[in-house]
Amino acid sequence: MAAKYVILPCNGLDKEAGCLARELALKMAAATGSEIICPVLYQTAPSRYASLLQEGSLVVIDGCATRCASRIAANNNLKIYRKITMAEEAKKRDYNPGPDWRVGAGAAAFVEDVWRSWQPVFMEAEAGRVPGENAGLFAGPLEYAIHRHDKFIFRVPLAGFYFNENDCWVQVEGNRGRVGISDYLQQNLSDITFVTPPDPGTEVEQFGEMGTIESAKAVYELVSPVTGRVVAVNEAILEAPELINENPYEKGWIAELELTNFEADREFLLDGQRYMEVLKEKVADFNAGK
Amino acid sequence: MNEEGKLSIGLISCSGEACPGGTISRLATQKVLRSIRPGYHFVTICLPLFMAGGEEERNFARDYPTITIDGCEKCCALKATEALSGPVSGKVVVTDLVAGERLGEGTLATRELTTEQKAMVDQVAAAILEQVDKINREG
Repeated sequence: MAAKYVILPCNGLDKEAGCLARELALKMAAATGSEIICPVLYQTAPSRYASLLQEGSLVVIDGCATRCASRIAANNNLKIYRKITMAEEAKKRDYNPGPDWRVGAGAAAFVEDVWRSWQPVFMEAEAGRVPGENAGLFAGPLEYAIHRHDKFIFRVPLAGFYFNENDCWVQVEGNRGRVGISDYLQQNLSDITFVTPPDPGTEVEQFGEMGTIESAKAVYELVSPVTGRVVAVNEAILEAPELINENPYEKGWIAELELTNFEADREFLLDGQRYMEVLKEKVADFNAGK
Repeated sequence: MNEEGKLSIGLISCSGEACPGGTISRLATQKVLRSIRPGYHFVTICLPLFMAGGEEERNFARDYPTITIDGCEKCCALKATEALSGPVSGKVVVTDLVAGERLGEGTLATRELTTEQKAMVDQVAAAILEQVDKINREG
């Protein structure tokens, strides 16, 4: 059976973070039956891994901030499904990887903890991530307001969507909310190359971070319009981030949340018509060079 | 020479995921780094970074004596170093020292080494130190 995931770790030998990346790769490979790509052999003989990369989703594990594994993937135009950076995982856990290769006393427990937090993402059954579970719940916008400026056309749904001034939206159905970014933002970012959605189970605060979007121009931190617990992410955009460019309000949604405070959150949100006014100002300011 | 007057020697080890010899070379390199050799200052060079464009790493391998440690006959570390920095001062290939069938197949986790594999690590580390002595003899 083909491996579901293909792991490209940095494997660095000269910093502890690199050694930890390798340890996590081994752990994940053993738990998920994934295959590991040797970053060095991949550089010298890429064809060796061609079929493997076609069959499985690519998970990149970087050690330190140099992010060599990501660099290798980018240099070879590989489509990344998920990125894990050990230096960032260490920061979250207050673990300090050393500057050289020596693996610290708490390394095994640290790697175990990192894997425990990522395991649900890769073991879908455990996380209850059923793609399309609520497919019928969120209908696409029925009507858009349109703002034209030169050759650009910006769309804003008129009903059922709420926006924050950071250009993120939420579509609400009962106690569920689907979140994403506006047409204005996706056009500003240009071609989106990678999305890091929040992990299922994450508790998100209104105006708190809910992942990042990377494009050729910038890395954009998503600002949640609502408070709640992430119950699903849009698997399709992990494989095809360009869906956000194509259709940010429907196919390009990012995550689904169980809302915990929507009545209060709504006071700080804009409906479609009010957001359209904000959007017009932003377009005018942008063109005035402000 | 470094600031302490010791001879700086670069060690470029195979990163080791494609064969068990990679893990042996990785551990042997770390063992040499831990060894106390008066007069020497060992420096590891991160091979993925070296290949991904690390200029400092490439310059070091160009300016200082460097030993490559490879897990198998593909010799990724040796080939990359020669291509990007120039000739090496010494080379060690695990499969030249240990028969391939004794190494086994697949990925080898560092914590799961058998007694025999640990002995292989010592054997490879000794071979690296032989190369160090050779560099010293040849100046």
